Amino acid sequence: MGSLLDKIAVPQDRFEIRLSGSGGQGMILAAVILSEAIGGDGTKNVSQTQSYGPEARGGASKSDVVVSENDIYYPKAMTLDVLLAMTQESMDSYFKDLKEGGTLIIDETLVTDVPTDDYYALPFTRLAREEAGHVMVANVIALGAIASITGVVEKEKLVNAVLARAPRGTEDKNRKAVEIGFREAEKLKKS
Amino acid sequence: MAKILMKGNEAIGEAAIRAGATNYFCYPITPQTEVAEYLARRMPEVGGVFLQAESEVAVGNMLFGAAATGRRVFTTSSSPGISLMQEAISYIAGAQLPCVLLNIMRGGPGLGGILPAQSDYFQATKGGGHGDYRLMVLAPSSIQEAVDLTMDAFPLAEKYRNPVMIIGDGMIGQMMEPVEFPDEVDKGDPATNEGWAATGARDRKPRVIKSLYLDPYKLEENSYVLHEKYEQMKQHEVRYERYKISAKNDLLIVSYGTMARICQTAIDELEQEGVSVGLFRPITLFPYPEKELRKEIEARNVKNVLVVEMSCGQMLEDVERVVQGVKPVTFFGRTGGIVPSPEEAKEQIKNMIKKPTRAKKASKATAKKQAAKKKSSKRQRKDA
Repeated sequence: MGSLLDKIAVPQDRFEIRLSGSGGQGMILAAVILSEAIGGDGTKNVSQTQSYGPEARGGASKSDVVVSENDIYYPKAMTLDVLLAMTQESMDSYFKDLKEGGTLIIDETLVTDVPTDDYYALPFTRLAREEAGHVMVANVIALGAIASITGVVEKEKLVNAVLARAPRGTEDKNRKAVEIGFREAEKLKKS
Repeated sequence: MAKILMKGNEAIGEAAIRAGATNYFCYPITPQTEVAEYLARRMPEVGGVFLQAESEVAVGNMLFGAAATGRRVFTTSSSPGISLMQEAISYIAGAQLPCVLLNIMRGGPGLGGILPAQSDYFQATKGGGHGDYRLMVLAPSSIQEAVDLTMDAFPLAEKYRNPVMIIGDGMIGQMMEPVEFPDEVDKGDPATNEGWAATGARDRKPRVIKSLYLDPYKLEENSYVLHEKYEQMKQHEVRYERYKISAKNDLLIVSYGTMARICQTAIDELEQEGVSVGLFRPITLFPYPEKELRKEIEARNVKNVLVVEMSCGQMLEDVERVVQGVKPVTFFGRTGGIVPSPEEAKEQIKNMIKKPTRAKKASKATAKKQAAKKKSSKRQRKDA
């Protein structure tokens, strides 16, 4: 029966995204924003799960977003269509869950060792620090890149979802962060 | 109203507010503390009471006192906290008062783990506290259902003047899903409880709300009154869902809550492989859908019944009681916070259809094999 596990195919209408990094990088908030951007208008079903309790403190942090046209029964990710890895530790922990041909997106500021040649690399943390003006928006820059690379959500919807969660006074910084991520990923796609 | 994305714990808190709960007592405990956090903000907005007690024992007794006034009262906790409330819950049931409790269950006995589990089925459905009483027990499998059942729980508690417990697990509490809140909600009216509630005895005879009857004949009578209410619940309040149950089923699964929706994914995948499996999902765990489950089992050609739980087998005993040996009943479960994947459930089902009696043994071997496999697949990908 062991071979059965290799044959499991995720139902075709499921699209599974995992955002991973270390505690404090805003991966869970980013997943909530992404879920709201995708499922906010009620056209698609979405479920967002995360590690909680001691599991979520320090070390690797992850949050899953499952998107489907149909009802989502199993709410967690099974095999990932998209993995965002913001740190080497999360890269090492979750790469095995990415499906064959799945999309890997890494923060090349912090991830140096990638076990495949097929991936998108952008310096999210450096872009946040140097261009967006604050390291805290690295997660939002990454969301912009995910929107561009995967097409899972329109840029406009993402911007609205980000602004709905942004603390007052940070709207411009956050809007700019989405734009940076989207723009850099577009460049990457062309090259 | 449009759908909004909400975390289970917060959605349940909002549902309680909309259902007119005005008295919330709590003591924080993972994985349900967000309900308290949410209601700390919302209760004052609607003129209600948010009170963090010094312990769960105190919470239970605050519920008892507030319920006696005929207002809608609510608490939320997790397994060890619910255990501490049991004495008061028994008193509330004995004194015939309505109240609503939420248990976002932990795994294991004692302090337990905080990850999703269904280990409090016995406690919720078979008494929990001392004495000859029952709770009505509702088990949602999605955030939307958690919202709907929370809103129904308050009128149900009042209809029977009996505590209603909603049980979920860390998945229901922590997950975010889109939910819709109905526009029209029964907010309750304290005036309808005129007749029994302690509202001040000016210009009328005082009312006594108690569970104490020293005369054994009176106590017996009170117990019969309670028992009659439970019979009425069995007649009128049973809820369940049938999923893909048909004459073609090779197997019938009985599962509830989070575990049931995982089985639904497994069932969908097996269907594509030509294996037909149906799911019977009790939504009320007390009253248990006895007649309805029995009917499915007798009417169908299913050879086996498989009970799947995130425990070592608790609802299993109710299913066995209902099936009464007519069909073989087997069990698959993980516990301690391990949530079985759909793949794991599928493997169990396939094993059972092949050789039903081996299913239980296979599960341990499978777990080991899986653990080994996980390691090796990681290595393989790295090497490649």
